Amino acid sequence: MDTPDTFNYLLLGYAVLFGLPFLYLLSWWFRRRNLQRDLELLQTLNDEQKK
Amino acid sequence: MFKSDRVAQILNLVTAGLLLVATAMVFFYAPTEVTMGAVQRVFYFHVAAAWVGLAAFMVTFVAGLVYLRTGKHLWDQIGHASVEIGLVFTVMGAASGSIWARPAWNTWWTWDPRLTTYTIMALIYVAYLMLRQGLDDPDRRARFAAIYGIVGFISVPITFFSIRIWRTIHPVVVGGSGDAAQGTFHMTSPMLQTMLFSVFTFSVVYVCLLVNRVRLEDLAERVEQLKVRMLSA
Repeated sequence: MDTPDTFNYLLLGYAVLFGLPFLYLLSWWFRRRNLQRDLELLQTLNDEQKK
Repeated sequence: MFKSDRVAQILNLVTAGLLLVATAMVFFYAPTEVTMGAVQRVFYFHVAAAWVGLAAFMVTFVAGLVYLRTGKHLWDQIGHASVEIGLVFTVMGAASGSIWARPAWNTWWTWDPRLTTYTIMALIYVAYLMLRQGLDDPDRRARFAAIYGIVGFISVPITFFSIRIWRTIHPVVVGGSGDAAQGTFHMTSPMLQTMLFSVFTFSVVYVCLLVNRVRLEDLAERVEQLKVRMLSA
């Protein structure tokens, strides 16, 4: 029996298996960046409020 | 463990190294399976991703129990982080399985008992995240989420045992497959080693993500607390 050529499915499978966590980590990067910006802004406002 | 930068950095490096080795084993160490060809290599990370999905929901179950007992906020953070990570791995498992199924079963999807219970389980945990979004009071949110995480966990053993209880075309990795199973293959020693190493690697990836996700949750809570303090001042 000949082994079928399923290489394209393999590529698609690993594109999904690496692509999904990559997108998830990218969402973390955006979330962290936005939170750090918020934190800096809030700390500045807090310092001004104290003055 | 969750607060230390050094622990997180070491864990990130170890995880990246393990992932490289596991990928190399999948592509260069495990032999090509004769009846399915190259696509069978999807199996190693598919099993590992599905395993981590189920394990992550079990962690949420345990975290829920511990939170209700101790009231420590960290356990709520762990439960929440674990559901989010578990869902990513569950989707990875479903998507890679679907891609493997196309040449193996001649269809992308079928409402087989495993696939159906797996989908229901995923939706239960999507609802967990929606429930959290709908509650503003942190204590109430943590309590509700803990109870939901405990009750929702019933879907996990049902999903795991579905291929052993019902007649299904989904192959069984541990233990023998049923008569109706399609896409089964004889697992050689290098294949087994690659699968076990992939499962181990993905488990470490999960721990690494959990530590980093809890740290992100900490940052979000610091921002939230500062906002509340400023509004009440």
